[in-house]
Amino acid sequence: MPTLIKLQGGGMVLANDAFTHVADDQELPQGDVIISLTRFQADGERLMSEGRSVGVRLEPAEEAEALAYDLPRLALVALAFPKFRDGRQYSNARILRERYGYKGEIRAVGDVLREQAGFMVRCGVDAFEPADGSAPEQWERKTRRFRHVYQRAADGRAPAFAERGE
Amino acid sequence: MYRYDTIDKEFVADRAAEFREQVQRRLAGEITEDQFKPIRLMNGLYLQLHAYMLRIAIPYGALTSTKLRKLAYIAKTYDKGYGHFTTRTNLQLHWIKLKDAPEILDHLAEVEMHAMQTSGNCIRNVTADPYAGATADELDDPRVWAETIRQWSTLHPEFSFLPRKFKIAVTAAAKDRTATKIYDIGLHLRRGRSGELGFEVLVGGGLGRTPHIGSTIREFLPTRHLLSYMEAILRVYNRHGRRDNIFKARIKILVASLGAEEFARQVEEEWAKGDPSRIDLPDTELARIRGAFAQTYETLPARSEALEAAKAANPAFARFLRRNVHPHKQPGYALVDVSLKVPGQTPGDMTSEQMELVASLAERYSLDEVRVTYQQNLLLPHVKLDEVETVWRELDAAGLATPNIDLITDIIACPGLDYCALANARAIPIAQHIAERFAEPERAEAVGELNIKISGCINACGHHHVGHIGILGVDKKGEEFYQVTLGGTADDNAALGAMLGPALPAAKVAEAVEQMVEVYLRERRDGERFVDTFRRTGVAPFKEAVYADAH
Amino acid sequence: MRALTANRLDDGEAVFWKQGRWVVRFADAELFEGKDEAETAEAAAKSQQTIVVDPYLIDVIPAGDVWAPLSYRERVRCLGPTNHPMHGKQAEGGHDIDALVHAEGAARSTGRVNLIKRK
Repeated sequence: MPTLIKLQGGGMVLANDAFTHVADDQELPQGDVIISLTRFQADGERLMSEGRSVGVRLEPAEEAEALAYDLPRLALVALAFPKFRDGRQYSNARILRERYGYKGEIRAVGDVLREQAGFMVRCGVDAFEPADGSAPEQWERKTRRFRHVYQRAADGRAPAFAERGE
Repeated sequence: MYRYDTIDKEFVADRAAEFREQVQRRLAGEITEDQFKPIRLMNGLYLQLHAYMLRIAIPYGALTSTKLRKLAYIAKTYDKGYGHFTTRTNLQLHWIKLKDAPEILDHLAEVEMHAMQTSGNCIRNVTADPYAGATADELDDPRVWAETIRQWSTLHPEFSFLPRKFKIAVTAAAKDRTATKIYDIGLHLRRGRSGELGFEVLVGGGLGRTPHIGSTIREFLPTRHLLSYMEAILRVYNRHGRRDNIFKARIKILVASLGAEEFARQVEEEWAKGDPSRIDLPDTELARIRGAFAQTYETLPARSEALEAAKAANPAFARFLRRNVHPHKQPGYALVDVSLKVPGQTPGDMTSEQMELVASLAERYSLDEVRVTYQQNLLLPHVKLDEVETVWRELDAAGLATPNIDLITDIIACPGLDYCALANARAIPIAQHIAERFAEPERAEAVGELNIKISGCINACGHHHVGHIGILGVDKKGEEFYQVTLGGTADDNAALGAMLGPALPAAKVAEAVEQMVEVYLRERRDGERFVDTFRRTGVAPFKEAVYADAH
Repeated sequence: MRALTANRLDDGEAVFWKQGRWVVRFADAELFEGKDEAETAEAAAKSQQTIVVDPYLIDVIPAGDVWAPLSYRERVRCLGPTNHPMHGKQAEGGHDIDALVHAEGAARSTGRVNLIKRK
């Protein structure tokens, strides 16, 4: 079971993972699962009607828009980072939060490093499967690094220009 | 000048502290080089041939005496006593140690400076017209918008892992002194039909392996929507820019493959889905930034008798006035270039002592402002006409008064194979050899405006594609060869140069330039510049002259 | 014949492998005749992540009575920038530096033995 870190009450904690990642060619186990967009588009309805919580994993080239109608019923969206340098998921995360008002878990999976904690949280990611063996304290420290931010994003932090307006 | 408030100061301090920790972790082996490299690049630190290179950000080229003195100090203390100014108006130091970088960043933070985002796949230093605020021909002060963009783009969480680097330039004058058409986004201030201010937005300019001139995707964007619109552009790029091939990853490739119209449509669509009121700056903030750039001047006569007398008495000073001094919007003032192009020296380089001198001149004679230009020179923007001669004498004593701005010896050259790990050939010696042949000021002036631009490799940091004469270093079986292009321009009529002929060996390049100048002098009509004559005659007479021996 | 080079992590200095350590003068570098010994050294160097960055093998050729890197780029790394003869390793002067400066026969500017594979 990979480590799961969650943003909770402004801090970062180790969490138990109720979900199982399931590859496209794997049989589905019982319980809550995270499946690919393709598999979700084929089997998603059926799975959700079985009473499971279903999470969808988006690859970087897949767009959050594809889940627009299903979001209210999705417990979780996993954003895959094949390489930490591939920044497409930051856009997906913001779209999920800011355009669709998605309230479920947005989880970063793959090449997920604590160095990107700040960016991920600002874009609305609130769960992380770190690939670098890092611990919640390190993730929390990272998100508290900057006293100010310059732009509005998905995390609700007031940007500098709003702070100045006060 | 924009001065940091508490928020800005705390930001750079936090960033410096973060980097200090990251360097410690790297040195201790807690992060791998692969993980550390993007971090180090986002703090402007390259690993080059001889050492690390630190690229310090100079937002829209704007410096004060305090900042320039600090740069002099850092160059002297942590480097070999000199620095190199770039076409993106940053300062490069070529002999930096990683272990010193955190301390250097702390020093920079003390004077409201940093090295954030001067490298890496993120939004880079924003450039603007170096004449901003001082020229009569601008619609608005582009620094207001450059500063706006600077803040918005700083550690933008969505756009810190783009497919590739992203460069933005802003101009508000009819004459484009900032090469806006060859950057990822070029912004031209315009007046709308009802007189309101807005931008013409160009996207997809860029040099390198596949050079492109930017395309207009929006004729008029009201200024208040600048940031929300740019978010739309960046998001389309972030999502759809190619990530499979670094040579095809810039936005210019995306714009070219979709077509400007389709790209514009996608941007408009994305923009329409957003809520601009969350992103765009409130009027109060815009006013605050604008207020920072307000400048008061003394009321002076338009004509300075002292200057006129000095001009009449001293031909060298008269030449300096002709080449390096430009009219200011305020009567009695002028803009004075500081040439970093002494023939035979490294173009764009400046010693710590020279930096100290110019800092002092800025403080005493230029309302404490000095700017970096696209052409790797400096500029004192607010010198009283009465004081130009004094400034000239001090510059001259320090080797900073070569009267050659825009002339053949005002060469743009990248550091090339002497410093850069990416280079195929050297650029500096080529610049030196050419400049030495035209060192005689009368000769250079007789040739007139001629922009030579030299790159040591296809990454085109020397902007050879847009040189009147462009020179690109290539490696031909281990020997340095140079491909010459003609007719490139980086101004409002930006265009890419056309190849002259087969690549020339290093020893032939300066001679070839002389031969081409001879052709120009022979063929020119009615005050044509070199590039005008070339456009009229085409490449044939130049090619014939250079390759005559081959017949 | 090959040598193994890298940049030192903490200060970026170009350095050369010599029996498990790193030296700053190319003249002191260990030379490898065989492929195996070269690659063993390279593997060992790559595990020194907190000492050097990106070690790689370079070709060297005889140049007068010294060895010189085959590539011009590597020669610049051994000497320093040609526009500042007093900067970099070349400031030391002396016979070895002189021989490098005047060495003939440079080729292939990247200098790397294993060229970057294109996708």
